[in-house]
Parts: sequence; structure tokens; C-alpha cells
Amino acid sequence: MTMFDHGQPTYAEVNRDVLSSMLETGPRYWMLLGTTMTIAGVCFFMPWIYQLIVGVGAAGMNRNALWGTYLSNFIFWIGLSHSGTLLSAVLHITNSQWRKSIYRSAEAMTLFSLMTAALFVMVHVGRLWFVHWSFPIPNPMGLWPNFRSPLMFDVMAITTYLTASSIFIYMGSVPDFAAVRDVSTGIRRRLYTVFSFGWRGTAREWHTLGAAYMFFAVFVIPLAVSVHSIVSWDFALSIVPGLHHTIFAPYFVCGAIYSGTAGIVTVMYMLRKFMNFERYIGEKHLDYLGKLLLVLSMLWTYINILELFTTWYSGTSFEMEALDFRMFGFYAPLYWEMILFCAFVPLLMLFRKIRLSWNKMLVVSILINIGMLTERFIIVATSQPRKFLPDAFGFYFPSWIEFSITFGSFAIFTTLFLIFIKWVPAVSIYEVKETLKPLRRDA
Amino acid sequence: MRSEVDMSNVLDKLREYSKPGYYDEFDYHWTMTIDLDRCTGCEACVVACQAENNLPIVGEERYAEAREIKWIRIERYWEGEFPDVKLNFIPMLCQHCDEAPCETACPVFATYHNQDGLNTQIYNRCIGTRTCAVYCPYEVRYFNWFTYTWDEPLEQQLNPDVSVREKGVMEKCTFCIQRIRMAKDNAKDDGRRRVRDGEVVPACVQSCPTEAMSFGDSNDPDSKVSQVMNSPRGYKVLEELNTVPSVIYLKKVHDDV
Amino acid sequence: MSKISRRDLLQYIGAGGVGTGAGYLFAEAIKRPVEFLIPPVVPPEDYSPGVATWYNTVCNQCSAGCGISVRTREGRAKKIEGNPAHPVNQGRLCARGQAGLNALYNPDRIRAPLKRVGERGDGAFETISWDEALTQVAGRLGRLKIEDRADRVQLLTGGIRGHLGELFEQFITLLGSDRYAQYDFTYPANLRLANRLSFGIEHLPYYDIANCDFLLSFGADYLGTWLSPVHFSLGYGQLRQGREQRGRCIQIEPRMSLSGANADEWIAAVPGSEGVLALGIARILVADGTYTGSDRDAWQRALEPYSGDRVAAATGVALERVQQLAAEFGSSKASLAIGGGAAAAGTNAVASLVAVNALNHLAGNLGQPGGIIFNSAPVFGSATRHAGLTQMTELAASMQDGAIEVLLLHDTNPIYAMPDAAGFADAMAAVPTIVAMSSFMDETTAMADLILPTDTYLEAWGDDAPEPGVGLPVASISQPVVARVYDTRSVGDIVLSLARRIGFELPVALPWANTKEFIKDAWKKLYTELDPQADAADFEEFWLAALQAGVWGRVEATGGPGDAPAPSTIPDIDAAAATFAGDTAEFPFILHPYLSATLFDGRGANLPWLQELPDQMTSVVYGSWIELNPATAGELGIRDGDLIEVESPAGSIRAPAYLFPAIEPGVVAMPFGQGHTAYGRYAQNRGVNPVQLVALQSDQQSGELAWAGTRVKLRNTGERARVVRNDGISRTLGRQILHPEENHA
Ligand SMILES: Nc1nc2c(c(=O)[nH]1)N[C@H]1C(S)=C(S)[C@@H](COP(=O)(O)OP(=O)(O)OC[C@H]3O[C@@H](n4cnc5c(=O)[nH]c(N)nc54)[C@H](O)[C@@H]3O)O[C@H]1N2
Ligand SMILES: Nc1nc2c(c(=O)[nH]1)N[C@H]1C(S)=C(S)[C@@H](COP(=O)(O)OP(=O)(O)OC[C@H]3O[C@@H](n4cnc5c(=O)[nH]c(N)nc54)[C@H](O)[C@@H]3O)O[C@H]1N2
Ligand code: SF4
Ligand code: SF4
Ligand code: SF4
Ligand code: SF4
Ligand code: SF4
Repeated sequence: MTMFDHGQPTYAEVNRDVLSSMLETGPRYWMLLGTTMTIAGVCFFMPWIYQLIVGVGAAGMNRNALWGTYLSNFIFWIGLSHSGTLLSAVLHITNSQWRKSIYRSAEAMTLFSLMTAALFVMVHVGRLWFVHWSFPIPNPMGLWPNFRSPLMFDVMAITTYLTASSIFIYMGSVPDFAAVRDVSTGIRRRLYTVFSFGWRGTAREWHTLGAAYMFFAVFVIPLAVSVHSIVSWDFALSIVPGLHHTIFAPYFVCGAIYSGTAGIVTVMYMLRKFMNFERYIGEKHLDYLGKLLLVLSMLWTYINILELFTTWYSGTSFEMEALDFRMFGFYAPLYWEMILFCAFVPLLMLFRKIRLSWNKMLVVSILINIGMLTERFIIVATSQPRKFLPDAFGFYFPSWIEFSITFGSFAIFTTLFLIFIKWVPAVSIYEVKETLKPLRRDA
Repeated sequence: MRSEVDMSNVLDKLREYSKPGYYDEFDYHWTMTIDLDRCTGCEACVVACQAENNLPIVGEERYAEAREIKWIRIERYWEGEFPDVKLNFIPMLCQHCDEAPCETACPVFATYHNQDGLNTQIYNRCIGTRTCAVYCPYEVRYFNWFTYTWDEPLEQQLNPDVSVREKGVMEKCTFCIQRIRMAKDNAKDDGRRRVRDGEVVPACVQSCPTEAMSFGDSNDPDSKVSQVMNSPRGYKVLEELNTVPSVIYLKKVHDDV
Repeated sequence: MSKISRRDLLQYIGAGGVGTGAGYLFAEAIKRPVEFLIPPVVPPEDYSPGVATWYNTVCNQCSAGCGISVRTREGRAKKIEGNPAHPVNQGRLCARGQAGLNALYNPDRIRAPLKRVGERGDGAFETISWDEALTQVAGRLGRLKIEDRADRVQLLTGGIRGHLGELFEQFITLLGSDRYAQYDFTYPANLRLANRLSFGIEHLPYYDIANCDFLLSFGADYLGTWLSPVHFSLGYGQLRQGREQRGRCIQIEPRMSLSGANADEWIAAVPGSEGVLALGIARILVADGTYTGSDRDAWQRALEPYSGDRVAAATGVALERVQQLAAEFGSSKASLAIGGGAAAAGTNAVASLVAVNALNHLAGNLGQPGGIIFNSAPVFGSATRHAGLTQMTELAASMQDGAIEVLLLHDTNPIYAMPDAAGFADAMAAVPTIVAMSSFMDETTAMADLILPTDTYLEAWGDDAPEPGVGLPVASISQPVVARVYDTRSVGDIVLSLARRIGFELPVALPWANTKEFIKDAWKKLYTELDPQADAADFEEFWLAALQAGVWGRVEATGGPGDAPAPSTIPDIDAAAATFAGDTAEFPFILHPYLSATLFDGRGANLPWLQELPDQMTSVVYGSWIELNPATAGELGIRDGDLIEVESPAGSIRAPAYLFPAIEPGVVAMPFGQGHTAYGRYAQNRGVNPVQLVALQSDQQSGELAWAGTRVKLRNTGERARVVRNDGISRTLGRQILHPEENHA
């Protein structure tokens, strides 16, 4: 197996293949973009505006369950963001060659899922119009946010991660922007001249880029780990039975990377299929990602077992009751669905035949993410409605607005991605070239 | 703003912030006791709070969705089976925890501990993340899922000393802070430094037909509430959670002869 | 200009940055310490809440007569609290009393005089002026008077006490009619009759719960709905923790009420067997020598039939339990037996209550602290025109016969609060003119031809002498606490202006310009009558003082408590068996309706605070439900929330099932209060009215409606219905909530 299943392309071919995906836009693209934008508008923004007018009561939350799908989706999207920048950085440091054709899209995923996640924070809060109060903005009233609050950790962690990820992806794209500049004319040329910071490709420039890139790769890794740890603390720092677990930070990080990696597989499939990147994204990638997923799934399963054990070992009515409700209550089918999709289905990847099959891997990766979406939902829906005082036990079921907004968020993500691939080369041109065997005239 | 620079402030400030137990020494420590041996579950207190604090009338639909707002509610717990069956009542309201889980949660300080030992709620500041309510083990925080209105002219009964809340903010028992402020204000007008025992009577305490509740400053060892809370029957609900509540319950007596 | 290298630039930027940072940190460090982290979110210290004005008046949400203080700001009523000076409630108030504001500011109040335009009961009215409305009514009444047919005028009001009742009385008499009746569903007529039979005193005595050691209640929900709940709650608090020795409470009733929940023991006796149980206990008291009166032998003979076995069989209470009760009742320093609720609403209610009274006599509790203490008669205006089922049926018959030409209604709702079978609604159709003086469009008011909107009690003048009294003469004045919200008039003013317009001797006999003058005049008489030494010139001062205090009472009362009249009941003692309408085979369950502690007899249903107040025992809001024992439900395959059709010989209704852990298997219970077909947006078309199931039976002695004497059958419709309730799991699951020593498992 080689890096390129369909024969090694030439440098020119690389340029042409990648840039054509940006520069040549067929009706299929516009139709797709139109569809996703419409879905985003109708399913996400319209219900949201309605909710802004009437109040968060438009959603299904109530006095016993004050957090709902908005927050579970928030965790989901933050989770999905994990395999992009993080994976890319790790692989860069470890000098994995196979990373090079996929990392750009993966990092873009990070960016867009973070943005989608941030949107969910805004959908979640009761008074969007004051959400800026959660930022430390100097003001004449001397009001300051509360840095003891895990939500403030969130705000800080997510903005930092978003900023760092943006810089990371941008920096890595500069030579490619120059490549776009070089093949374009008119306004686009001027635009990409600015984007590429006047990149000329001198040895010194390459050297500086390499150093800076390495610095950021190292910088971004702890950030990524911290982000999901911190998101987990929104839950774990409460004393709510079923949430108050020390394992939560690694649990969330593991889950995040897990779902993020599965997300990459899905996106790779789409890029290959619709952007004709078969030559750059090959079975080798699939094989590696499959193995990574397998390891992550086992880690995830281990942590789940650990959670059961500590609950059982604590022996408190609170924890036992919460676990009992989770495993055998109303939402039990979802729980077992999650176990099936996240613990058992991935074991199929033990088989090489499955790992190397694009279609099968697509199914597995989507199932994993359905499972992970469910996991997040279960976390919010089964614990907080049943805390300490049984008389105050309640129940949560999402309203149609929440279903709609959840669905719409995928359209938002897709829309952002579709726009991205027309502005930024979705595969790193220069790094793919680095992996090509030197061309010799006599070869 | 500052005319002079005083370097000693640097140290003062450091001391101030590093002083342990900053929250232990309250000017007052408002405390409530509820004697479950007196409480009959009559819910006079529930209506009293609704009247005093402009709690909305949410309507049947909202009620069915569990979006009601009752700063004090009566929890019911059955024991045994027919015919040897008992029903116990326990009024549940914000416990004004000294180690309040809700306070650390709020990103914008919309809920914080004041120098009177109260867990306060600043509606104007709240952005509605609802974290505080998720963190509260007593589930006594209520969220405004909608902007509630009163059918005209019911709004005329609204208490002008208490603001009406809009959609998207959290609310909960304030220990009738407006009455505390009024009492402090009166004390100041009288040239007294402190509020007298019994001068602050929250609406629920005031109404209670069995005199099950008392309220006062537990910093004052002579206050009624200090006496009552030292009863051997006194306990705190979910004490093991270490929230250090300011509501002390007196256990119901079961003397089956 | 010298050239700056890139390296230099970076260095400058770096140095600048570090300098700025250091400077900022320095400035921060030397800043005056902020005392608190968040001062601006606290309102400024000098903000002073506005000044409120308090008015004392009387609660009218039930007939206990609690004194209230209404807080007003800028001319609007803001809050009702108990008047601390009033001996009945001593500053406390029940949920219903506080919800009075919802009546005052109710959006569905009748805002101006209305005249029917469509068919009767269509609900189509047009607004007319007061002048026109009064002219029409006065004209009609005046014409009848001229024609000497004024005896065809019927006045029907609620249970009105105080001088207002006397005003009505005078008005109707002056008009030339004797037809004045008061229909109040909750009027304790059976208790009054039983007391007259037992003690020769009809007005209610003082039940000294506060000082009693052993309280034995036969169905009386003294903490929720019986006679004077706030006063009894005060007493209960005192009994539990207000004194050296904690008193004990036992509740005997087929379905646990609020008082049952708070009792030390709740005993489910067979419905209607309360009298037998009381006499069973009585027999033991006499037999074991607790009773030592000279007529002990006569008692012994009279109680002979109530042997332990018979009592146990009839009541379903184990013999040992009966003996324990008797032992404790006899040996407690102060014991007290009371009867009410369903026990006072069966076909044998009066007999049962007489039996309960006998217990108090035998234990020597009469006139004793902690027992029954006899009140002197209320200072004035005890309701005397009460109409029970018998009188109301007669009235309906007269109406059918065309004997009534004008029906004047005020503050009573027989269409809702009487079984359809009594035919009152039909009879009303036969009355040519119906005039309703009412604040709300309730079912009965909706049938009127002319509606005169009345003030609520918070806008009107009046007075009240509470019953049961508190052992000393007490009375209070009702005064308006706010200006009228709408174009309404007080019912007293309406009567007075009708009198002026009708003419004849009426304006002379009823000369007062308004109700205030009338009340003031009445109190002036009272002032001089009750205290001959009083100087009439000081009246103004007294009046103001009474208004301000909200209550007037005399501590050094004459003929007050303590006189224990001898019971005259020995030969009459007979706990007749209760009869239930409906065949046992066809209707296997006994219907146990009860007064709701939130909506009461239904009058609270239009108050949103009460609709939203969870029922104390079930936590249900906004609806009706039918309670049945979980075991019974299991046998019938009924789950919580199944829609059940409840059918009695008199009617049938549908309500969702509520599996209630504390009810006898053969009994199903339902609260009164819902099921209004009118009465404003909060009440209308919500739940069902169990009165419609009640068969027309009355107490054998008093003729009162025996609303607890009906059998029903249940049918699961297979449909599901929503019961809005706010409880989760009503078991502690072993958590440390009620008993701290219990560890959660
Ligand atoms: N005759 C006359 N009229 C005037 C003026 C005058 O000098 N003379 N001055 C004018 C001027 S300059 C002004 S600013 C206006 C002021 O007019 P308003 O704004 O009406 O001012 P206030 O009457 O002081 O306060 C209004 C209400 O707010 C309530 N309140 C206080 N704190 C709070 C809170 O935290 N929340 C809520 N919800 N309510 C609260 C108070 O109890 C009060 O009932 O009047 C103007 N009108
Ligand atoms: N206790 C209390 N204090 C308050 C308030 C309160 O409600 N209670 N309200 C606060 C508020 S909201 C406000 S806006 C302030 C208002 O506080 P101030 O601005 O002090 O208002 P006034 O006392 O109404 O008017 C000030 C002076 O202006 C004079 N004046 C009138 N017309 C003219 C003119 O054409 N030219 C000149 N040069 N002078 C003129 C008047 O005679 C008066 O002496 O008070 C604040 N302070
Ligand atoms: S008012 Fe008093 S007795 Fe009634 S429920 Fe509240 S605390 Fe208990
Ligand atoms: S009871 Fe709940 S809301 Fe009140 S202080 Fe404690 S944690 Fe906060
Ligand atoms: S809901 Fe309001 S008070 Fe509660 S944590 Fe959020 S911002 Fe703070
Ligand atoms: S103290 Fe005041 S705010 Fe708190 S429950 Fe009682 S009445 Fe309501
Ligand atoms: S007991 Fe009756 S009179 Fe007293 S407050 Fe309650 S409703 Fe009013």
C-alpha cells in the first residue's frame, strides 16, 4: 500500500487537483450550499428567533431539568472539534507523513464545530442580549465575571482554543494562499496577496514557517486537552449525582477525541467523494484512523466501566438512583444504544477488511457519532432532573424546537465547511508535495 | 479618582483577600427555623410568598410543563402503606447556604453571598445560564422560561418593593430582602445601629398559622432564632453535602404510644 | 531618520509591552481596596422603599371571621396579612385568606350593571347605568308592594353574618315578605343542632385545641377547612410544641385529610360509623369508671348496645384500638373530641355529632381548659336564616309553583352547590324576575335578568362577630381598604338605595345614606348597649379606635366561658346507622367528597393563586381527580391518570384516577371546588363538580343535605387524562430529608 492509491500525482497535478476544487464551481455545489443554508435558516435560525421572542420556555426544559439538548449539543460540537487541531498537531510533532493530506480539513472541522458549539451557548442562555457580560470587559460599573465559575473557565478556554486553532490553520495555509494567488487574476489575486502576506517561498520564509508551526503545534495540544476537561467541569464541579465524577475530565477528552476522529473519517469520505480527492486521501489514512478509533473506543469503554464501578462502590442512594435511572429508566434505550454504537460497533474495526472499506468505515464513524451525541444527551437528561430531593424529581423531553435546532446545527456546520472549501485549499498543497517522491527525469 | 498613592494599601489588600473565612463573619446572619412538628403543610406560606414577591401566575399549561415558580414549596413524603401510612410535609425554600454550590457556578456574579449571610439573586445581572439551579441540591431556583404577565387588573396587586422579572432570568427565595432592607432603614432612621430581633419577618414566616417558622439573626445569641435552632431536634437537610444551610429544621416528633 | 532594524522594533515592542503590563499591575496593586467584589449590583443603601398604609378589616373567604390587615401602596391593595390584634387568627392567615386580593383585582369581575338581552342563561347582557338598574328593581318591588304581593319576593343570600344580615332581614320584612333564606354549603347546621341537643346551646362553643392533651377528631379537618382553620392551626402549633407536654392527635376518617396527615395516628373507620365508634368509646369510659356522674347508670343502660365486638364490626376498627382510644381519652388530663367533615354530612350526622359530644361530657371536658368551652352568644348577627336541603327544596317547589315573582340573589351559588336533582336550576326558570347582586358571574348569577355588581369585601363596609367565638365577646368592622376598582356598589348600599326608591315606610325605617352610616349607627347602639356607662359623646373616638385596631373585644367578659350546661342527651343517644343512596351490589364504593383546603366549597376556584396552589395532600393543581386506594385500583386495573367514569344513582362524571395511599379500599374521594360552568376564566370548564353525584338525601334530624351519603361505581373509560401535579417521587428513598439520623442507603 502506498500513500497514493491511484498513482503518484505530479506537482502540477497536485496544484491543479486542489485548486480546481476551489476555483471551479459546478451547479452541484451551489445546490448543496443552497440546501444547507436553507436548512440552517429554517431549522436553526427561525426557531431560535422564535425562542428569543417568547423565551427559552420554547424548549422542553423545566424546573427540574434546566439544561437540555442545547447544552448536550454544545458538548457534542466541542467534542467534534477535538480531532482536528489536536490530531493535526500531534501528528505534526510526531512527523507522521499521512497526516498531510487530511489535516487542513480536520482543522477546519475544529474551527467550525467550535463556532457551532459557541452558537449553542447563545441558544442556551436566557438573555442572549447580555451574554457579553460573561466576558471581562472593563466597564464603568466595575462589574467583573466570576472566575470561580466553570462557565468562565469555558469562556476562556474556548476563546483561547478558537483563537489558537484559527492561527494554526491560517499559518499552515499561507503558502497555499500564495499558490492560489499565483493562479488567479483580478480581485481574487489581490485578495490572496493579502491573505498570503506576500509569501514568496524563500528558504527563510519556509524556515520561519516551520519553526512557528512547530511552536503552535506544541502550544495547541494542552489547550485542546484543557478545553474538554473544562467543559466536563461544567458538570463535574456540580454535586449533582451522576455528574459529580472525578473521571469526567479524561472521560470528556477521550470522548471528544473519539467523536472527533470519527468525524474526520466522515468528512474524509465526503471530500473524497465529492471533491475528487481520491488520490490524496487513501486507504492508508483510513487504516490509521480506524486503528486510532479502535484504541479510543476501548479507552472510552474502560472509562464507562469505571464510572459504573465508582457509582456502585460509593453506595449512596443518590448515585445509585441516578445510575439506575440512566440504565433502566425512560432513557434506557438511548443508554444501550450508546453502549452498542460506542463500545461494540467499533470493535468491527479489528477487522482489516472493515478498516479498509470506505463505505463500512463511513457507517461505523457515523454510528460512533450518533452514539456520542446520545452520550451527551444522556448526561444532561438523566442526571439533573433527579438529584437529591425525590419530591422534586422531574423529567425532561426536548421540544420540537430543540430537535429542529439540533438538526439545523449540522446544516450550519456543513454550510461553513462548504464555504471554507471555496476559500481555502482543503488539502494542503505544499505539504502533499512534500510527501511526493522526488521526480526524476529518468524515472 | 485617587489623589494619593498609599503603598500600605498593597499589603492591606493582600491581607484582605487572603483573610480566611471572609464569608464567615457576616454583619448579620439571617437564619430561619422551621419546626416540622408544628408545620401542617397548609401552604399559607406558599401563597404569602407568591403575594409578597410578585411570583407569576403561570397557568395550567405551564404548570403541566413544570415551569411553575414557587419560592417556597411543600414537599410531601409518604411513609408506610395503608393502613399504617403517614404523610410528612417539609417546606423547601432556598437554604441560603453559606457554602452555596450555586454561587460558584454563576459566571456573572448574579448570585452571590452578601455580608448578611444571604444568598442573593440579582435579576438585572442574570444572563440565564441556569447553572446555579442545576448546582443547587435543594432545587429551589426557578427560571423565567417566559415573560409572565398578569391578567389586567391583577397587576395592581404587585408589590412595588419587589421587581418583576423578565424572561431569561433566574429567581428564588430572597429571605424577603426588601423587608430586611426596610427594617435596616427603619433602624437607621431611629438612630439604632442594628435591627432588633423580630423586626424582620419574611412573608412566609408572618403568615404561618402554626407559628412553625421563626426568623432572625443567628449572630445574636439572644435572638429567638438562635434559641430555637439549638433545639436538640434541629437538623439541616442534606447536611452531608456540606452546603451549610441557613435554614434549620426541627424534626417532627414521632411518639407512637 | 535613523533606520530601525526589525530586531530593534521587536525589542521596543517587547519593552513597551512589559512596561505597560508592569505599570498596570502596579496601578492595580496600589488601588484603594475594594470592600466588596460586587457592590454596584446591590441597590444603594439610601434607597428607601415607599411607605405603605395598612387597613384592618375582616376576611370573608370563609366564615371563620379572621381579622386581616391589608397593606396598600398608592391606593392599591398589595398584600393581606393577619391582624395580630385579632384573637381569632392572631396575625396569621390561611392560603385562602391571602388570596383575597385575587378576588379584588379579578379580571372577571362584573364591572357594571348588566341587563339580560338574550335567552336566560345565554350569557348575553348589555351594560346599563346604575340608575336604570336600581329604578327597574325598585319599580318591580314597589309594584309588588302596592299590589300587596310583596310576599312573592324571595331574598336568597350566602351565609351572611353581622349587621348586614340584619339589614337584609329588615329590608325584606319592611317590603312585606318573610322570604329570606341563606344558602351556604359549609354552614355547620348539623353541628349546631347537635350542640343544641347535647348542651342546649346552639351557637358554636370554643374548642380549646391549644390546651388539650388528647385530640380525637372524627372527620373534622380542623387544620384545613373545619370552622376556623387558622385559629385551630394556632392551637395545633401550641399543642405540639408550645408547651411543656406535647399533645397527641388522633384522626378518624376514611380518607386522610390534612389533619389526618398531621395526626399521630390516622384511623380509617367505615364511613358513617363515627357515631358508633364514639359511643363504643363512651361505653368503655362509663364502664371503666372514668365517668362518675350521678346519672352513670342511665348512661350505662343507654350505651349498652355499643359493646366492643359490635363497635369493632361496625367501624372496622380493631377492638384493642378502640380500647386504647378509650383509655387514652379517659386518662388524658385534657381530652377533646370533635366531629366534622363527612362525619357531619351523612344521613346520621347529627346523631354522630351528639355521640361525639357525649364523649366530651363523659370525660368531663366541658368548660375545662383543653376541652369544650362555651362561648357567650356572638355579640350580634349570628346567621339565622340558614336554609338546608329541606328548605331549599321547598323554595324550589314554591318557585316552580309560581309563588315567587322576584328572586333577589346575593353571594350564593345554589346551582353549583346543590345537586341538580334538587331542581333549583329548573325552578329558577319559573321565576319571572331574577336579580343578582354579585361580584362574579357564577352559575347562579348567570341565570339572572338583572345583575347589580357588588363590591368585594375589600371595598365595602360591614362587620362581623366571629363564630365560633374565642371565649370572649369579639367583633370587628369591615372597611374598604381601597377605592372601588370598578363601577360597583356594596350590597348594603344597594339595599339602602332600593329602600329609598321603593318608598313607603322603607326610607324611614332604613334612613342611612350608605352602609357605612348604617354600620356606624349599629355600632353606636352596641357601644351604649354593651356598656351602659359609656358616654355616647365618646363614640367617635371609640369608632376610630375600633377601625384602627380592626377588632373590638371585651376581656372582662360577663357570662363568658366556663358554664357547662348539663347535657340532655342520655335517652336520645343513638348512633343511627348511616344510609347510603345506591345499591351496594350495583354501586360498590362509598363516595367521600371533601371540602378542598384550597378552593374550599368552590368559591375559591376563580382565584388564580388558589388554582395554582398544589392541593396539600396530592399536589394536584388546576383540576379534579378521584382518589382511590392503590390496592383497589390494582384490582380494577386502574392506573394513575386513567380517566374514570364515576356513576352514582344521581349522576355521573369523569375524572382522572389518583392512587392515594391513605384511603379505605371501599371508598373513593373527591374534592369539592372544581367543575364550574361559569365563574370566570380561572374556574370555568375546569374539572368536575362532585356535588352532581350526590343523591338527594338528608340528615334524619336536621334536614341538611347528606353529601357524604352516596354510593358510586367506577368504570375505566380506557382514556388517559392529565393530572397536573408537582410532585416527583413522594418517598424519601432513604435520603436524609426528614430524619437526620437515618442514613441514606
Ligand atoms: N410632580 C413631579 N413629577 C415628576 C418629577 C418631579 O420633580 N415632580 N420628576 C420627574 C423625574 S426627573 C423623574 S426621574 C421621574 C421619576 O419617576 P418614577 O420613575 O416613577 O420614579 P419613582 O416614583 O421614584 O420610582 C418608581 C417605582 O419604582 C420602584 N422601584 C424602586 N426600586 C426598584 C427596583 O429595583 N426594581 C423595580 N422593578 N422597581 C423599583 C419604586 O418602588 C417606585 O414604585 O419623575 C418625573 N416626574
Ligand atoms: N429625595 C429624593 N432625591 C432625589 C430624587 C427623589 O426622587 N427623591 N430624584 C432624583 C432625580 S431622578 C433627579 S432628576 C434629581 C433632580 O434634582 P434637581 O436637579 O436638584 O431638581 P429640582 O429640585 O427639581 O430643580 C433644581 C433647581 O432648578 C431650578 N430651576 C427651575 N427652572 C430653572 C431654569 O430655567 N433655570 C435655572 N437655572 N434653574 C431652574 C429650580 O428652582 C430648582 O431650584 O433629584 C434626584 N434626587
Ligand atoms: S404556613 Fe407554616 S404550617 Fe403552613 S405549610 Fe407553611 S410552614 Fe407549614
Ligand atoms: S439552597 Fe440552593 S439556591 Fe439556595 S443558597 Fe443553597 S445552593 Fe444556592
Ligand atoms: S442563571 Fe443567572 S444567576 Fe444563575 S448562573 Fe446563570 S447568570 Fe448566574
Ligand atoms: S423568606 Fe420571603 S422570599 Fe423566602 S420563601 Fe419566605 S416569603 Fe418567600
Ligand atoms: S380561615 Fe377563613 S376567615 Fe380565616 S383567613 Fe382563612 S379564609 Fe379567611
